[in-house]
Amino acid sequence: MEIIILILSGALISIAVYNLLQKQLLRIIIGTVLISHGAHLFILTMGKLKRGQPPVLKETVTSYTDPLPQALILTSIVISFGITSLLLVLSYRTANENKTDNMDQLRGKSNE
Amino acid sequence: MSNLAILPIILPLFAAIIVAFTNKKVPVSRTLTKSLSIVNLGVTAFICWYVFANGTIVLETGSWKAPYGITIVADSLSIVLVLTTNILATACAFYAPHSLPLSKEKHYFYAFFFFLIAGVSGAFLTGDLFNLFVFYEVLLMASYALIVLGGERIQLRESIKYVLINLFSSILFVTAVAFLYGAVGTVNMAQIAERVHGVEQQGILTTIAILLFFVFATKAALFPLYYWLPKSYIVPNPVISALFGALLTKVGVYSIIRVFTLIFTYNTDITHQLFIWMAGLTMIFGILGALSTNNIKLIIAYNIIPAIGFIMMGIGVFNEDALSGSIYYLVHDMIIKTALFLLVGAIAYVAGTSDLRKMNGLINHYPLLGWLLFLAAFVLAGIPPFSGFIGKVLLLKGALAEGEIGIVIIGLLTSLLILYSVLKIFIRGFWGEKQELKPTEKRSPKGFIGPVAFLLTLSVLLGLGAEFIYPSIDSIATYLLNPENYIHSVLKE
Amino acid sequence: MIFAVLLPLLFACFIPFLSRFKDKVHTGIFTFFIPFIIFIYFIRFIGNSFEPIRHTYRWIPSLNINFDFYLDGLSLLFVLLISGIGALVVLYSIYYLSKSERLGHFYVFLLMFMAAMLGVVLSDNVFVLYTFWELTSISSFLLIGYWHFKERSRYGAQKSLLLTVFGGLSMFGGLTLLTVITGTTSIQAMISQSDVILQSNYLPLILIFILLGAFTKSAQFPFHIWLPDAMEAPTPVSAYLHSATMVKAGLFLVARFSPIFSSYEWFFIIVSLVGIVTLCWGSYMAVRQTDLKAILAFSTISQLGMIMAMLGFGTKIAVFAAVFHILNHATFKGSLFMVAGIVDHETGTRDIRKLGGLLTFMPMTATLALFGTFSMAGIPLPFLNGFYSKELFFESTLNLSNATSTFANGLVTIIPYLAVFGSIFTFAYSMYFLFGVFAGPKQLDQLPKKPHEAPLGMLISPIVLVLGVILIGIMPNSVNGSFLAHAAHSINSQFQSQSVAFWHGLSTPFIMSLIVIGVGTLIYVTRDKWANIYQLIPGTRSVNNIYNKGVSGMDTFPHKLTNTYMSGSLKHYMTYIILAIVIGTSTIMFLTNGFSINFSDLADITIIEMVVVLVILIGAVATIFANNNLAIILITGIVGYGVSILFVIYRAPDLALTQLVIETVSVALFLLCFYHLPQLRKRDEKLGSKTLNVIIAISIGSLMTLIGISAHSTNWYESISEYFIEKSLPVGGGKNIVNVILVDMRGLDTLFEITVLGIAGLAIFSLIKLRKNKEAE
Repeated sequence: MEIIILILSGALISIAVYNLLQKQLLRIIIGTVLISHGAHLFILTMGKLKRGQPPVLKETVTSYTDPLPQALILTSIVISFGITSLLLVLSYRTANENKTDNMDQLRGKSNE
Repeated sequence: MSNLAILPIILPLFAAIIVAFTNKKVPVSRTLTKSLSIVNLGVTAFICWYVFANGTIVLETGSWKAPYGITIVADSLSIVLVLTTNILATACAFYAPHSLPLSKEKHYFYAFFFFLIAGVSGAFLTGDLFNLFVFYEVLLMASYALIVLGGERIQLRESIKYVLINLFSSILFVTAVAFLYGAVGTVNMAQIAERVHGVEQQGILTTIAILLFFVFATKAALFPLYYWLPKSYIVPNPVISALFGALLTKVGVYSIIRVFTLIFTYNTDITHQLFIWMAGLTMIFGILGALSTNNIKLIIAYNIIPAIGFIMMGIGVFNEDALSGSIYYLVHDMIIKTALFLLVGAIAYVAGTSDLRKMNGLINHYPLLGWLLFLAAFVLAGIPPFSGFIGKVLLLKGALAEGEIGIVIIGLLTSLLILYSVLKIFIRGFWGEKQELKPTEKRSPKGFIGPVAFLLTLSVLLGLGAEFIYPSIDSIATYLLNPENYIHSVLKE
Repeated sequence: MIFAVLLPLLFACFIPFLSRFKDKVHTGIFTFFIPFIIFIYFIRFIGNSFEPIRHTYRWIPSLNINFDFYLDGLSLLFVLLISGIGALVVLYSIYYLSKSERLGHFYVFLLMFMAAMLGVVLSDNVFVLYTFWELTSISSFLLIGYWHFKERSRYGAQKSLLLTVFGGLSMFGGLTLLTVITGTTSIQAMISQSDVILQSNYLPLILIFILLGAFTKSAQFPFHIWLPDAMEAPTPVSAYLHSATMVKAGLFLVARFSPIFSSYEWFFIIVSLVGIVTLCWGSYMAVRQTDLKAILAFSTISQLGMIMAMLGFGTKIAVFAAVFHILNHATFKGSLFMVAGIVDHETGTRDIRKLGGLLTFMPMTATLALFGTFSMAGIPLPFLNGFYSKELFFESTLNLSNATSTFANGLVTIIPYLAVFGSIFTFAYSMYFLFGVFAGPKQLDQLPKKPHEAPLGMLISPIVLVLGVILIGIMPNSVNGSFLAHAAHSINSQFQSQSVAFWHGLSTPFIMSLIVIGVGTLIYVTRDKWANIYQLIPGTRSVNNIYNKGVSGMDTFPHKLTNTYMSGSLKHYMTYIILAIVIGTSTIMFLTNGFSINFSDLADITIIEMVVVLVILIGAVATIFANNNLAIILITGIVGYGVSILFVIYRAPDLALTQLVIETVSVALFLLCFYHLPQLRKRDEKLGSKTLNVIIAISIGSLMTLIGISAHSTNWYESISEYFIEKSLPVGGGKNIVNVILVDMRGLDTLFEITVLGIAGLAIFSLIKLRKNKEAE
């Protein structure tokens, strides 16, 4: 299963990157959301999957899943959320100010 | 005393929160910022002295012992960089009120400024790879906030590219950290180092190392990953450009130094050869970029890139001389880049434009600015007896001792072109006929001069007084060449 | 000795104050005393029993960079030239520069140069030598650009800086290489280890590096082009820097390192060849010039080439002739520059086509010019020093037989002919200079000013120099044993003594001199007839054109190149970055056999997981094809919820909850922001760029998967997580291990994660608020 999840994560990153290479802002931002999903699944898999119970201590349980990747993912999710929200407002403002959501028209003059 | 180590991170964090609440009263913010920067500088200077006198400080946060909790490691390398950061920050704090419009000051410039310093200091000091990622995000988030501050059309346009590219590399960063965790089961740098050394020569570790290197190289603006840098660095206010130019790329370089002297010290024939190649190409393309434009701010922004090439060259060569050269050059470049960004900001202000083609004969009205620029050009190019020279001598000696002639020749030619690219501003913009100014066109560079002069003096002293500094830098290089020191001081085995 | 170097620098600090009184007292008067004092201090070292002196002052001892001053015969010769000519030039400048000029700047730059030049010739430490070397380039740059409002001055200043700093950096490379090989930074110590250097593989490289420095500084072909343009500097500067001292720094460098390289045949070949070619080219080009100072500039180039060639010969007599000519050249060329300055000053022009017949107006100046030019031309008269050194030069060209290779032998054969060829033109331009200005028809209507004799003060310096020409000419041996012999000895340690006599029979050198005079007169007289040859050689193929093309290329080429890849397009940037990462990382993975896969320790595959995986995958793919804002946002939401279900399956309840909440909020935010924005359009890409995108996307994804699989397949170490599970309750005091890690063990992460959120909040706030304020305005 780990290998399947790793392939899924890789596929998510591929699709995300494909979206990042588009011109329209919304697609690009969707790409950033997908890429962080991919990354989080990578982290999760690095701690092995389905070994033992959820990492909440119980008297009866002796084996738990690796809690560290989960903690790392939690931190990362929150940070990603922060960036995504900033990015959303930023792109909204950019699109409004520059009257376009096409990255090709947001190149700017060369070397000025 | 080990609690000291966290002060350079916590103090700016508190400072940020305090000034965030005084945003309505700009004079209060200004005074607070100036005084808090000085306090911070004093504290860091003390810690720096303490580290050099008593050795590395290791703080185990929350008293969780080393590989398990997050450790803050103030060793000689990190503390020197934190000290340099705070010196620059103080200069910028005194420059900012003259350069920023009131609206930006009101909209939390000073808070973002301190957040940035906290993030940068944290990145230098942390001993935990995932925590490094978190501090990267802190400093990046602060930089996002600073780069869009003001919300001009061009700012928005460039910052969205800046944010997206950095976001992409951050994702790769966190993934690479995960891979490393998957391979060696830990995120503590000292323990990673110990474990990696234990299984040496594993291809997958080298692969992850290179992935990590590319992540840092994107932040450090190495060829061929620097495209995001030049234009996004010139859209915000000069004081922000100065902070970016001095700090952001250098965090990336620091990370490369740290990771490739502490953790991935084997397989150097492959990895470090790659570094030297990239260093050479970075110098060439960077300096060609600087020559390609007539925008004085862009000239300086492009000049960040070849400097990174020089530092990278020392890491690639990887002997004592070359490493101490890299560190010397790193410190030198942080200072002189800040000075140049601030200076060019002042020049663009008095000239009313940053287009070199529209400037002429400025020296007749602003002699002091002109001579400061003249001096800065030579400092930047590493002409003796200024600070860049010492770094360059060491880098050259190191590279030549390993027979790396090619990179030395590229480096020397790049130095010439660096000099030309900046001196061009002096020759074309400052020299020339005296232009009569209308009273409305007269602008005084007063207030800009102080911080710039301070930083330039420091650069000159760093060269003339190398005898006082070099032994410490050299001790850092020897320390870095023996990663066991770091591992022992953190893991206490 | 450090005071000699520091004195000009220290005094320069006071110049700005002194120049405040320039209306009352010319700043030059104060300045004059500095070189004068230095000259007096050093002249006492002249004597038959001179021994080198060394003084060391610490600078950066831990890097072996110290002010290691070493005064031997060679340094002494240069120190006296620098201070002696320096004093005369300052004296001359007092009358040349009016008080309305920016005298403060001028004298600061001049003193800076003086200190730097003294430093160059006195330093035994290679890095200190380099430091002063660059300082001479910088001060020369500033002095050439002194009248920076003139376009030509800026052009000349930039040109000289680019070329000399280029050479300086190259020399720096060579010196560093020498340091690395010998382990010392002292030139004298290097000389004592010359066998180590001669056996090094880097020898050719060192030689080229150092010679590039010397050739650019001493304006040797093809780097001579900066010197004529340096003539934009005020004439005292030309006389001082660009004739008597700075341009001789290159000669000094070659002389200094001769003891190391002289037994290396390529040293002989390169230095002699470049020197002799420069001699010929410089004198040939000088005849073409119309500007007085340009004639002198090319003449200087040619004379420097001659001295360089002699240093290349390296024989005892050549070395002696070289130092002798360094001294002689300084005297006659210095006086001629001052003459040119006087003519310019008193007539308002330096164009030789407008000048003529000035003998009647300026008899004194004309007399000085007569001595100067005749000495330069090498006319055999017993009171002209130029003749002696030229005669010795001819003699030295005839005594070169130590060559071994055929190439060197060929060179040895042609050198005497080239020497005569160059000297013929030297004779021709000397006559051209003298008679063109002072004889011939008067053209007073062409002159901006009515000419008259220069004030006495302006004449003192050239008179002193011409007296030097005559005195050395009458008593050539007076400066010989006590002075020149020491200098020659420092270059070639076998040198003991050399006596000089005016007449030593009808020897070959004398016949060469006679040929020079005969043919030279012919060339001068028939000048107009053959001048068309300059259209052919160099024509438009001059080195200058190459330089100009190069500099404008330095503006245009990077511009074009940079614009090709700095397109401002995020897509391009991302493409380059990802390609670099994929290519770099996969190459390393391949080279190090990084990929490994291990099926032994895997979780089982269940249907429900596969369903979720498929949903996520389909959803993700659908985002590519969706053409509706609402649809794409909702699909992304579905992918997010899918991931949180995976979290549930994989025993991560906290993650699942957080992911759910955040996904919901995100979707809401997306809808908020993109509701008003344009609808998604169909992607209007060309097939090629689409294919490239697909390739890039798939390659980065697969790379990450491959690394992930390999990282996952290792099992060298246990994870540190066992510790967390163990200590969570007893030390951390919580049952939810993830929570304990977040708030306790990795509390710092959490603190700064919140900080990130906080900054994001503030940033969003100011992003929105600042716009509102703007709209309100």
